[in-house]
Amino acid sequence: MSTTQLLSLTQDLTIYHALEQKNKLLDALDSTDDLELDLLQVNQIDTAGLQLLILLKKEAQRTGKRLSIVAHSQSVRSVIDFCKLAAELGDPLVIPAAEAS
Amino acid sequence: MDELTNVYVQESREQLAEMEARLLRLEQTPDDHDNINGIFRAAHTIKGGAGVVECHFIVTFTHFVENLLDSLRNSEIAVSPPLTTLLLECCDHMGNLIGVLAAQQAEPAADLLARGTALTLRLKEILDAVQPSTTGQSGIALHDDLVEVESYGGGVVNTDSWHISVRFGRNVLRGGMDPLSFIRYLGSLGEIIGIETIADAIPAAADMDPESCYLGFEIRLQTKATKADIENVFNFVSEECDLRILPPHSNVADYIRLLKELPEDPMRIGEMLVRCGALTQGEIDQGLQAQKTGSAATARECDQPPLGEILVESKVVHKEIVDAAIVKQTQIIEKKAHEAQLVRVHADKLDELIDLVGELVIAGASANLLALKSRQSELVEATSVLSRLVESIRDSALQLRMVQIGDTFTRFNRVVRDVAKELGKEIELSISGAETELDKTVVEKIGDPLMHLVRNSLDHGIESAAVRLERGKPACGRVSLNAYHDSGIIVIQVSDDGGGLNRERIRAKAIERELIQPGDTLSDNELVNLIFEPGFSTVEKVSKLSGRGVGMDVVRRNILSLRGTVEVSSVEGEGSTFTIRLPLTLAIIDGFLVGIEKASYVIPLDSVVECIEHKNLTGDRNFLNLRGEALPFVRLRELFETEGQAPARESIVVVQFSGQRAGIVVDQLMGEFQTVIKPLGRMFAHLRGIGGSTILGSGEVALILDVAALVNIVTRSEEERLLPHRNNPSFSALTSNSPAVQSGR
Amino acid sequence: MSTIMLVDDSATILLSISSILNKAGYTVERAANSEEALKKFNAGVKINLLITDLNMPGMDGIELIKEVRKLPDYKFVPILFLTTESQQSRKLEAKAAGASGWIVKPATADELLNTIKLVIK
Repeated sequence: MSTTQLLSLTQDLTIYHALEQKNKLLDALDSTDDLELDLLQVNQIDTAGLQLLILLKKEAQRTGKRLSIVAHSQSVRSVIDFCKLAAELGDPLVIPAAEAS
Repeated sequence: MDELTNVYVQESREQLAEMEARLLRLEQTPDDHDNINGIFRAAHTIKGGAGVVECHFIVTFTHFVENLLDSLRNSEIAVSPPLTTLLLECCDHMGNLIGVLAAQQAEPAADLLARGTALTLRLKEILDAVQPSTTGQSGIALHDDLVEVESYGGGVVNTDSWHISVRFGRNVLRGGMDPLSFIRYLGSLGEIIGIETIADAIPAAADMDPESCYLGFEIRLQTKATKADIENVFNFVSEECDLRILPPHSNVADYIRLLKELPEDPMRIGEMLVRCGALTQGEIDQGLQAQKTGSAATARECDQPPLGEILVESKVVHKEIVDAAIVKQTQIIEKKAHEAQLVRVHADKLDELIDLVGELVIAGASANLLALKSRQSELVEATSVLSRLVESIRDSALQLRMVQIGDTFTRFNRVVRDVAKELGKEIELSISGAETELDKTVVEKIGDPLMHLVRNSLDHGIESAAVRLERGKPACGRVSLNAYHDSGIIVIQVSDDGGGLNRERIRAKAIERELIQPGDTLSDNELVNLIFEPGFSTVEKVSKLSGRGVGMDVVRRNILSLRGTVEVSSVEGEGSTFTIRLPLTLAIIDGFLVGIEKASYVIPLDSVVECIEHKNLTGDRNFLNLRGEALPFVRLRELFETEGQAPARESIVVVQFSGQRAGIVVDQLMGEFQTVIKPLGRMFAHLRGIGGSTILGSGEVALILDVAALVNIVTRSEEERLLPHRNNPSFSALTSNSPAVQSGR
Repeated sequence: MSTIMLVDDSATILLSISSILNKAGYTVERAANSEEALKKFNAGVKINLLITDLNMPGMDGIELIKEVRKLPDYKFVPILFLTTESQQSRKLEAKAAGASGWIVKPATADELLNTIKLVIK
């Protein structure tokens, strides 16, 4: 179960795809203890997309899993920086999951 | 005038016409909400456009009209005849103001201004009765209710930045908004020196709706902008988000209260505030402590209500409004607007195009002629293909200038309404055939004669209600306008169900005016049509409406100048019908070319029934037996006193006009010919039997026969023989061969 | 650059606003009524913002907004409506129908462009 899974998003992280992205992201997290997210090809991200990343992070914390965002596109990075969320969603910082004690 | 103003003037005139038409409908159907909406919309569009073109006098006046209409559509005031009248007057005034703009005058003239002021006062009077002293300011933005909280007690936070605390509503994303773009915009007002994203509201994954917004932000903003500027950024979401703004140098107590009001745990938000640089941890600890000891409690009892309460209050109010808005009935979709498929073209451009097509037709005919002369069959073929195309272009071009007569007709709604009121009669107007099309140039010229006929019907035709009831008719009289196409011409009828024409009075008047002799026997038709003779008027009392110094003869002259005719038929006691017949266009017609000696004449093809060849037309009786019917005819050669001998074989062109047939005897038939009509100069205006001239492909001039006049001449001359003593004034005008024939171009 | 669809039955407004937008570098899709606008949506025109009048003959602006919000590809497009101060209740109605915000007529070019900047994604 502890194998690292890599999920590469290719679609925009916007409200138009929020529903399917939510399921995709949660399913991916569900299937592994250690999820790596590649956002290099995400051209656009909006509030809905940002919110999903935060949700995923919270969900990982809650379930004691590891979630790391391993690559950001320019627009994802600029939104994360703008909202001062680099500490939580930054790259290549590995987000420490709540210690699975 | 610049293009925008030009577009505006044209558009607002259309809107005004629409508004007037709807206002007239208002009295009959006061509950038609769509109609009232339409009236409002028209005024609104006029005002809006005026704002765009910066025509302030239109904006100022229309503003009051719009307010009144707004009250009307909100059912705050009821529809009444005086109200409709007032609004119609406003309509007129707006039309005048638009005229001022169109004339490129800076300001309306003094009398117009005075009139505007008078109307405005009347509008205000009604408005004030509905909404005392709030004339024209129903839209105060909700955020204005927020009161700046004054400092009370406690230390001042040592920072010169604004603090903005915002929690977005769940539906923000569904409304097509992106909170991040608001925050980015906020950044453009100054500099965001600290920001914290608050995601506490995000529920557990299963319950989280990714299309809902759960985020909030704590923002430190350094800016010279005012509080209102900052609030404006969130204006679009003001009703669904929690917005708290603390000005620079706010008290610690204000921040503490902010902490307590926010939905999240105060300690956690306190942390956030510290992180984004609003406060120090020390200040927070101190403040929270101070509140516990009661100093903040006294603050709460100050005169100023807490910000939060105001917010909550305004939110409660808002909730009700939103609920009301949601409950509001859905609107029924009206007829689809056709405008989308239309292209606006300046009328001058069309006229120019049609002139050019006219020249093309002439040039084409010339080429055709040369081709024929050359006897090169290929060339002849090529030019004939060309001719057909030119013909199609001609038809299409003329079609472009065709407009429906409906607009001209609906203008009379107002006339009928106003005049009926003035006369104290009840009269309704019924319109049919509004979609009938005719050339714009004809439409423009038919307005005046039509107006005269309608007014005549209103004034002299329709009886007073009392008389009508006595005669067993409904009290409300009816005037009808009707239009239809009939073999290449348009027929326009003005009829009324009034008293009809009084034959005896017409006869007496005609004898008095020496139009007829006492012993003359006239057909009923002839008798009633005497009213079109110059100087005829059957009503002794000259009324204000019709007695304007113009008689029916002027109507007839105007219509004749359009190559049309007018006649009246009437049944005494039941009403009269005026029938106007007009060509569809004044520009180009299909003609039939005939010749006498070297001269060519054109007969409008629409009126040609058939051509027959006749040998040895002799005898002094000018009619022949055509399949058992007597056909009166006229020899063009004689009529125009052409020199020379008629050929042995003559041809007769049978023409028809308004049900009457006549033969025109000519030397030769030359076939169909597209005829570009050139008006005759004023010198020849008195000619009867000639309607205009045209230029042939050879460059020669041909005269166009006025079939209406010819048929008249032919049938009358036949009667003349039978009634030789009658003095008919219309004969003397027919003169000999016109010099125009020889004069060339 | 962004494309803005402008729907208004007033030729004056269409002309004046689109010239401001064009000058600011936006591409403008114009429609004289809701039906025409929907036709363009159904044809799949790509836009970043819709600006519509509310009072129009035929389908009015509120209905148009509701319809646009039903289209999967335009469900979340920012929509601004043109309004006047006197139409407070219409404002709420339009918001309830799914509008993002409004532009108060008559607006200066700056007001117009700032509002667009605020909501355009």
